[in-house]
Amino acid sequence: MSVYDHIAKILAEEYEVDEAVIRPDASMAELGLDSLMVVEFLFCIEDEFEIEVPEERAEFATLGEAAALVDTLIAEKG
Amino acid sequence: MVSPHGSEPRAVFDAVFAGESAVRLCRTGTDEFGGDALLALSDFDPSPRISKAQARLQSRAAQMAVCATHDALEATGLLGDTQSLQDTGVYMGCGLGGSEVLQDAYRVYFVRKSRRLNPVTVPLIMASGPASHMSMRFGARGPSHTFSVACASSSVAIGEAFRAIRDGYIDRVLAGGSEAMLNDGSVAAWQRLGVMASPHPNGAQASSRPFDKDRTGLVLGEGSVVLVLESEEVAAERGADPIAEIVGYGASSDAHNLTEPDADGQERAVRAALADAGVDARDVGYVNAHGTGTLAGDAVELDVMARVFGPGAPGVAVSSTKSVHGHLVGAAGALECALTAFALKRGQIPPTAHLKTPTPDTDIDLVPRVGRAAPELKVALSNSFAFGGSNATLVLKRT
Repeated sequence: MSVYDHIAKILAEEYEVDEAVIRPDASMAELGLDSLMVVEFLFCIEDEFEIEVPEERAEFATLGEAAALVDTLIAEKG
Repeated sequence: MVSPHGSEPRAVFDAVFAGESAVRLCRTGTDEFGGDALLALSDFDPSPRISKAQARLQSRAAQMAVCATHDALEATGLLGDTQSLQDTGVYMGCGLGGSEVLQDAYRVYFVRKSRRLNPVTVPLIMASGPASHMSMRFGARGPSHTFSVACASSSVAIGEAFRAIRDGYIDRVLAGGSEAMLNDGSVAAWQRLGVMASPHPNGAQASSRPFDKDRTGLVLGEGSVVLVLESEEVAAERGADPIAEIVGYGASSDAHNLTEPDADGQERAVRAALADAGVDARDVGYVNAHGTGTLAGDAVELDVMARVFGPGAPGVAVSSTKSVHGHLVGAAGALECALTAFALKRGQIPPTAHLKTPTPDTDIDLVPRVGRAAPELKVALSNSFAFGGSNATLVLKRT
């Protein structure tokens, strides 16, 4: 399962986000996550993939960009 | 409401009236160093009223408060009525707030030896979380206050809401309390205080025994109860069918001891409530006692009843419904106020379950074991006496 698919599954199952709105180009707002929810969501993702997202790199406009960031951080971790 | 006896208020009253105990012996904590505790847990599932995404930003106490409010608004026909709710206030009692969230955070810090705590820990643990989420979820834009007064929290919240309405500051308040502290860290702390009941030979269910010779302490419960309080005019305007009327509130402090109860302080709260209501003590037919089941607390409350109502408190029935729903701490006063309201509405006095031998010996009618019909019941009190010496009494009247 790709990182994107894994994150999409978490959103659907752990956040009850409607699967119809889970798309790579969906913004966090379109996914129904406000700013505080995004902070919590990032924490959940960090735990799931055993990574740490540095504050200065925690910037993404869409779900696809978030997945790409996680991909990169996993690769950097080796 | 969310209570150890369920969420439907009339069914909850029926169960309490029938003396059905919700107290169970539970295993809490880890296999390694967990323990057994007598608890009155609420069978609570926040879905579908709260989505999983929203639930991640709410403590258990906040989730319970949101669900209790949802049901209260639905029952009154106010759910989704944004016009009516826009000036509505929220007055809630809460003792500890998100203690389970704090426990999880400390586990990460002390056990995993990590500072990487959940970034939303702070807004989840605050005691005002239940009131905040109620306001946000239902669009209640009046003042939202949280009263953290230990075991008296929600009686104070309801009393202060009553005064704010009576004094013309506000027309409608969602008032009550929420408490969910039955996580193992909190339970272990309570057990160390030496006030928790031990299992009774007749079974765990019979272990909460207010006023009884065999009482050994209190049983903790959890839940949330939210009342819709309205001015008489506003209630009449929308054709509301009130369960009962709140007519008085008295509060006092013992200024005495952190945990030891004080008859003088409690008496002042009860008398202040009666004076506030303009009600003569002889008109009171029922008192829902604080009655937690501790050795000292119950004896002092009986002394207070005798002081206020005269030796043997003639004509007054005094019962502790904590015998079946346990002590909900910050939500206790709200649940007991609701039960008292239904007692007036129904003309039925709930019993002190399990009571066989009142101790100290007393002539006060403690409604032992079996509830009774009381069609003439017109005025009732609900007492809440807290650690820290904070006392609150509410006076309710049949409508």
